[in-house]
Amino acid sequence: MSASLAPECNEVKERYDSCFLKWYSEKFLRGTSTSDECDPLFKQYEKCLSRALKDRGIDKMLKEAREDNRENDAEHMRSKR
Amino acid sequence: MKIFQQSTEFDYSWEEVSTSNWRKYGPWNEKTPHVIAVDTIARTVDPQTGIVSPNTTSALSSVLTASQLRTERLITCRQSTPKWINSLLGGQETSHVYETSYVDPSAKRVTLCSMNMTWSDLLNVRETCIYEPSASSPTQKTNFMQRAEITALCGGWQKIRNSIEQFTVERFQQNAAKGREGFEMVLETSRRAFQEQRDLLRLQQDSKILKEIRM
Repeated sequence: MSASLAPECNEVKERYDSCFLKWYSEKFLRGTSTSDECDPLFKQYEKCLSRALKDRGIDKMLKEAREDNRENDAEHMRSKR
Repeated sequence: MKIFQQSTEFDYSWEEVSTSNWRKYGPWNEKTPHVIAVDTIARTVDPQTGIVSPNTTSALSSVLTASQLRTERLITCRQSTPKWINSLLGGQETSHVYETSYVDPSAKRVTLCSMNMTWSDLLNVRETCIYEPSASSPTQKTNFMQRAEITALCGGWQKIRNSIEQFTVERFQQNAAKGREGFEMVLETSRRAFQEQRDLLRLQQDSKILKEIRM
């Protein structure tokens, strides 16, 4: 998998990514799981990353991008149709 | 505004392509060294409620169908624009792309929507990519459709806007070929890795059986 933009998050990111990939290919695609069981690992990764995004000033850019993306959500999320 | 559009086919099943998509920019891909980091910033699984067709004895009843996966990623690239553009737009070493993706496993569709975060007040790049089973061979091949809309926003000089848009479209064309080659590498490596994993599992199971026979 790819690296994180924050080297200090690489280790936890790697653990999360491999958990996710296993869940995705073995459970999600086969329709045997409706919840993301890697969520606890994601929370750890997210904690590390959000600090890095804030330090680098990326969090503000991200907020704008999220606003701009609303129409994509509306178009592609089945539940919102 | 300028539009870049292309579609191509991969000789791999949709399941393989959709799984490998998550490692598209990893170490197995030697063709995209400009992508330095890919971070997942949000992810949700939404259970979907569908309705069973009414030809059953009971009236309409709802069932839980496959969930949909929504992911937000932040992609960090090393800047590779020519100097004249870079100096025009205020030189930066890295650029960021925001991507939201939607995986619908029952419809077998992956949709990826990306936009540039860097220089967003000067240039608007919106890309949509879709992976779907190929119509000709749905279990073995996957179709990839890519469409990008490029709009330079800087006021005033039409000529500069045109040059920036034209440059961006050309960059998309160059990257499309490289992107395909790189993803092919990932797909091939992934298929091999899964095969090795299966072989290993079989070997372990076989030895267990052998052990029991001997006992």
